[in-house]
Amino acid sequence: MRIEERLYTLRYKRDEQPHLMVKDQELCKRCNEEYGSPCIGVCPANVYSFVKDRLVVSYENCVECGACKIVCPFNNIIWKYPRYGLGIALRYG
Amino acid sequence: MKFDVVVVGAGCSGSVAALNSAKKGYKTLLVERGPEPGSKNVSGAMIRESDISRFVDIDGLPFEKVVKSVKLVFSTKANSVELRIRPRDKLYTVSRLKFDKWLAQKAEQAGALLVTKTTVTGVEGNKVITERGGVEADYVILSEGANALLSMSLGMRRELKPEEAVLGLKEVYSMTRDEVNKRFGLQGDDGEAWRVISDNPIPFAGFVYTYKDSVSLGVGVPLSNVKGLKPYEVLDSFRSSLSELVKGSSLREYSAKVIPENGFPSFKACNQRVYVTGDAIGLVDPLTFNGIGPAIASGYLASENLGQCEGYERALLQEEEVSRIVRSRTLVKELLKEENFKFYVNLIVDLFEGWSSGDLSKLKYYKSNLWAMLRHLTLGLGVVG
Ligand SMILES: Cc1cc2nc3c(=O)[nH]c(=O)nc-3n(C[C@H](O)[C@H](O)[C@H](O)COP(=O)(O)OP(=O)(O)OC[C@H]3O[C@@H](n4cnc5c(N)ncnc54)[C@H](O)[C@@H]3O)c2cc1C
Ligand code: SF4
Ligand code: SF4
Repeated sequence: MRIEERLYTLRYKRDEQPHLMVKDQELCKRCNEEYGSPCIGVCPANVYSFVKDRLVVSYENCVECGACKIVCPFNNIIWKYPRYGLGIALRYG
Repeated sequence: MKFDVVVVGAGCSGSVAALNSAKKGYKTLLVERGPEPGSKNVSGAMIRESDISRFVDIDGLPFEKVVKSVKLVFSTKANSVELRIRPRDKLYTVSRLKFDKWLAQKAEQAGALLVTKTTVTGVEGNKVITERGGVEADYVILSEGANALLSMSLGMRRELKPEEAVLGLKEVYSMTRDEVNKRFGLQGDDGEAWRVISDNPIPFAGFVYTYKDSVSLGVGVPLSNVKGLKPYEVLDSFRSSLSELVKGSSLREYSAKVIPENGFPSFKACNQRVYVTGDAIGLVDPLTFNGIGPAIASGYLASENLGQCEGYERALLQEEEVSRIVRSRTLVKELLKEENFKFYVNLIVDLFEGWSSGDLSKLKYYKSNLWAMLRHLTLGLGVVG
């Protein structure tokens, strides 16, 4: 099953303000060449992808696991929680 | 507004901290960022009754099934070994949403004030800052889980390194109660739990838990091993190795969370008026996968020792489960290294295979590694003793 289909099983309430951001796109380019962008490799919700040389962050899909900022070799991700309880809400957990 | 104690996070650790703090007569506020307690939390989950009942009256515990049988599987590409154990302790499977709500309700009944949909964004002196304004507190208990943004911002700990973190991924499949029981050969509320240690396609630990009306399965993938293969591809591979188990049933929920494999005592558990508990200081036992037990114990101990930082740290070290976690840190670090992980899984499988076929020649290979094994054994004895 594709990740997008799996994410359909989750209840999301979108925060209009992104809770994830990259600080410096140039570092991401370098990271992609040197380390193959570990954030893309690790994310269980396919939040990160390269589109035309830019790292795009689809923060709306984030399942708030916390893995991407641990593997980012440049500490290049600004990671906050979605505001006011927005983001995912699990039924089982 | 002023409180004696503000607890950040209504996970299992925070709710027990708030429950005990309120019971002791402290004016207590419990702040949770999710829409309700448990809505942001992920576990398999299996709990040990004695871990809970020592600190909380378990009357009305919302369990899914009583685990009567635990299956342990060691698996390599070539073969696998299965062991089945009837646990001596009383074990339950629980779903976190129900379990965490139940615990938070207990804290409320004891007099704590629960506020949800609110993220704490900072602690400055005796001020606790949230998105909805600030409150004053004599003590702050940070029970914020593995992704401990506050504890890190306060300098009580650093970020985990990839080699100190495992990504847990989980799926829940719906099934009728009868179907669950039929597929696992169970009766009534009896449940089964599986632990799988495998090096194929990459080293990971898998689990399968039976719930009342569903089956959950998942994997823990060390973040340092993520090369080429995505963690959810490891989950896919694990699920397909289970073949018929969830066939024909639909996916109810997909979730993921980081599991810490390092922390206290190198992460600070206390700093004057700030106390840190549970996953936020890495109190997960990677050898038994027990995180909820130590989280609850530490939440209780923090609230017991308010105003006595050193008392809290000492109490943590005296707590049997926590002290075992601390003693096993070095060994776990060693075993999580890809080459060691593979080595031992293969050793176990080869040992049983050789024994059953009467040909132990394969085991010669392991002789050359005797020293490393001896060193791990010594570390292991340190954990036991
Ligand atoms: C896939 C998986 C399977 C597992 N299986 C098991 C198992 O079978 N048995 C077991 O014992 N353990 C298991 N664990 C480990 C267990 O889940 C954790 O050890 C346990 O949840 C830790 O509890 P905690 O209270 O410290 O943190 P959490 O349960 O993570 O709770 C932290 C709480 O704090 C809230 N929060 C965080 N920051 C803020 C903030 N700034 N403001 C307000 N609220 C905040 C969060 O929303 C959350 O409710 C598993 C973990 C995973 C990922
Ligand atoms: S891992 Fe960090 S630096 Fe690398 S691409 Fe991702 S965000 Fe950018
Ligand atoms: S926190 Fe997890 S789900 Fe969210 S972007 Fe990072 S890796 Fe992906």
